Amino acid sequence: MNPITATLMLLGAGLSLLSGIGLLRFSTPYARFHAAGKASPIAFVVVAVGAMFEVGTAGAARLVLASAAMLLTLPVGVHLLFRAVHRTTPDEHLRIDELAPAEQQSDRPDPPAAPSTDDQGGAGLDDR
Amino acid sequence: MIVTIVLAVFVLTGACATARALIGPTLADRVAAFDVGLIALMGGIVTQAVETGDTVALDLLVVVAIVGFTATVAVSRFIESQGSAR
Repeated sequence: MNPITATLMLLGAGLSLLSGIGLLRFSTPYARFHAAGKASPIAFVVVAVGAMFEVGTAGAARLVLASAAMLLTLPVGVHLLFRAVHRTTPDEHLRIDELAPAEQQSDRPDPPAAPSTDDQGGAGLDDR
Repeated sequence: MIVTIVLAVFVLTGACATARALIGPTLADRVAAFDVGLIALMGGIVTQAVETGDTVALDLLVVVAIVGFTATVAVSRFIESQGSAR
């Protein structure tokens, strides 16, 4: 095996093991989502880059496609899980919570009828 | 030799993810553990392709990634609609 391939595959496997240990050992759900959502796509990309030296052009194209899919989807999915936990279970461990005031602020203009009837100038501009 | 080591490390990652999926207190923890287990599975597929030089199984990688993303999105919507993450 190519030494570059061996090094990168060992590095990626070690990163994925670190992600698994973080997922197993961290104490709060948010910390576990950080371990699951950030280290593991990087681990897969490192393994895929290492494997690209061994599998030829067609295999390398598939690895590029799989790496792109992984890098695009997994952080988004873990972010959705993060938001679902934040919305359903109120803050137990958070010292700084910047999402809750932001969501309240984004909820405030959600019924647009009430503020637009209150100030006349803005409503007139919106109607035109 | 290196292939054996890499596969063993991926198996350890899958064991950590399975343990978290079994003991995880919330449903979201179990889904995150499912994602990490899928990463370990994809790494195992890549390692097998490197060892044998056979690129047929690499087509599975995109399918596994997209199925995992769809499952994560569906379960997070379910948690939000259900109102609790237990």
